[in-house]
Amino acid sequence: MCVLVSCLKSKLKTGINRSVDFTVKRWAKTLKRGQDPEKVKQMPVFQFVGKNLEKKTRVYTWGSAETGALGIANLVKPSDRFKKPRPAVWRPLRLTFFNLMKVYDVGCGYGFSVFAAVASDTTKRLFGTGINTDSQIGYHESENKKFLGVLIKPSPIDLPIYESTKVKKVSCGRAHTVCLTSDNELFSLGNNAYGQCGRPIIEKEIFHGSRKVNKIYGIDEKVSEVVCGQDHTLFLTENGSVYSCGWGADGQTGLGHYGNAAIPTKVKGDIEGEKIVSLSSSADSVLACNEKGDVFGWGNSEYNQLHVATSETQLNIPRHLPLKNIGKVKQVAAGGTMCLVVNESGQVYVWGYGILGKGPEVAYIKDPSLIPEPLFGCNEFNTDVKVKSVTASLSHCAAITNKGDLYMWGRNRNHCLGLDNTNDQFFPLRVPVPITVVKASLGVDHTVVLGLSLL
Amino acid sequence: MRLTATLRQFSNIGKPKFELTLAILKPDLCRNPDHTLAVKTIILNNGFYFIRSKSTHLSPFDAQKFYEEHKEKFFFTRLVTFMSSGPISVHILAKENAIRDWRRLQGPTKVYKAQHEEPDSIRGRYGLTDTRNATHGSDSPVSALREIGFFFPEFRSEQWLKEEEPLFREGKQIEFDSEEWVHRIKPIVTEQLFSQSIWLRK
Repeated sequence: MCVLVSCLKSKLKTGINRSVDFTVKRWAKTLKRGQDPEKVKQMPVFQFVGKNLEKKTRVYTWGSAETGALGIANLVKPSDRFKKPRPAVWRPLRLTFFNLMKVYDVGCGYGFSVFAAVASDTTKRLFGTGINTDSQIGYHESENKKFLGVLIKPSPIDLPIYESTKVKKVSCGRAHTVCLTSDNELFSLGNNAYGQCGRPIIEKEIFHGSRKVNKIYGIDEKVSEVVCGQDHTLFLTENGSVYSCGWGADGQTGLGHYGNAAIPTKVKGDIEGEKIVSLSSSADSVLACNEKGDVFGWGNSEYNQLHVATSETQLNIPRHLPLKNIGKVKQVAAGGTMCLVVNESGQVYVWGYGILGKGPEVAYIKDPSLIPEPLFGCNEFNTDVKVKSVTASLSHCAAITNKGDLYMWGRNRNHCLGLDNTNDQFFPLRVPVPITVVKASLGVDHTVVLGLSLL
Repeated sequence: MRLTATLRQFSNIGKPKFELTLAILKPDLCRNPDHTLAVKTIILNNGFYFIRSKSTHLSPFDAQKFYEEHKEKFFFTRLVTFMSSGPISVHILAKENAIRDWRRLQGPTKVYKAQHEEPDSIRGRYGLTDTRNATHGSDSPVSALREIGFFFPEFRSEQWLKEEEPLFREGKQIEFDSEEWVHRIKPIVTEQLFSQSIWLRK
């Protein structure tokens, strides 16, 4: 027996057993970590970040990079000549161009992005990057005085505004940009083939290389928000009325006809007299909701997005959608084939066709159906998580929670979901962006996110 | 020349005859220069010959005339206003079973469904919405002839099928012009003719 013990002791001293000893010690250390809550209260608090510290705005981008819409020149033309250009970025990348600027709004179109930002060293208020075939991000020249059809990094867009004026809101369609300034002026650039810029249509007008920046007239009220569909534009005023112009072949202008509207016209129908607070359109169907939480819709209904109001495939006048059991709706989002609403308690309801975020298949849901809250991070440990807003693009969607987290799902076209893989995402998943997200703008194949730095 | 023509007939025995079809790259695709080039390259890599290429801008009246067959359908105005909204790129393609193969390469008409059902097809990859579906293809030999005549009135398809089609089928004398994106028949150099005649004499 004695021999055995001595034998063990001698073994303990050897190197093999030292590691075992070490793990035991570490385990004991971890056990010690549980602290008395009362003691914790007495501990001094070191505050490194002041409460009044102004958080900086940060812009993150990801998705298809070959168009230059991400604004990072190194992806398209690597400074290292042995590197190949990257066709797409799978995960969020910070757009360092805006590090020292205050960014007010971002907008994504088809292969281009526009940023409303203010910097101390320049009087320019609007910046654009990406495809510029229709002059949708202004007139830009190369060194040999040639018009640039593609920009690979953000460049300032000239607007006829005062130095003190800022650009508050910006929105982009397929090939046009509309911005709202703090002086309540509206400017539009780019393609006007359907009148989406709010000026008369000129047949066979050439937009490539155009220097035109158009001031939109025809809206008497104060505009609070601009929403661009693919080829139409909607204006939401502070009084809650809606104006529209552009392509109306699906009835998406809501003006009671299927023609084009070149001048912003007040939308009537069921929304007349209602105070609209939320308005959304990304393709050809439009959703709106008023103060009381009623939902209205018009435009394309080929995938039964508006089937509660009409049995036809197009609706050219706003109609009230009597949706049941969804509570008081706060915010709406209309994608290409899907519709999303958020209610007062932060629940997301979805209907339509496509990857709706409810399971591992392409679904076709006729009536609003709840996306389970735990998918947005609401669980036993975080009971106060609510979805604050939703956004939708043609076939993918995004949701932002009150904690500033961004969740995305849908078709992963050119890796626009930023989830570090190439697969379609069938349920909401958190995108790893190191900011508190304020706004997510979804383009056709890229995404731009505006947020505040964590510290 | 007559001898080489007869030889060609022999070498082409067993190969099915070429078909002509019309391909249109619609305004939404022509907005994006990268995607336009990508789609053209896909067509090229799938063994199609570009017989004629041009870029044009349809007027609403022309677009109405072109889509006359859809006049009764609900999406007619939508289609017409869309097609006349910007520049388009029109191509005559040739290949054996060109009509069927080009339609197969495009994928289903409805983009929202195509992107889930056939994500690798041209429409699944580059289409935006059901209307903005990137490309157009003729659906039958009759409509192909009509559509080719609409965009290329100077092009004689019967004459082409008789005279140039055997050359394309043989595929030896064809060169590709990437600037105008067309396949052309190389003019026969006298040296080649000479060597051919020597070979024949042997």
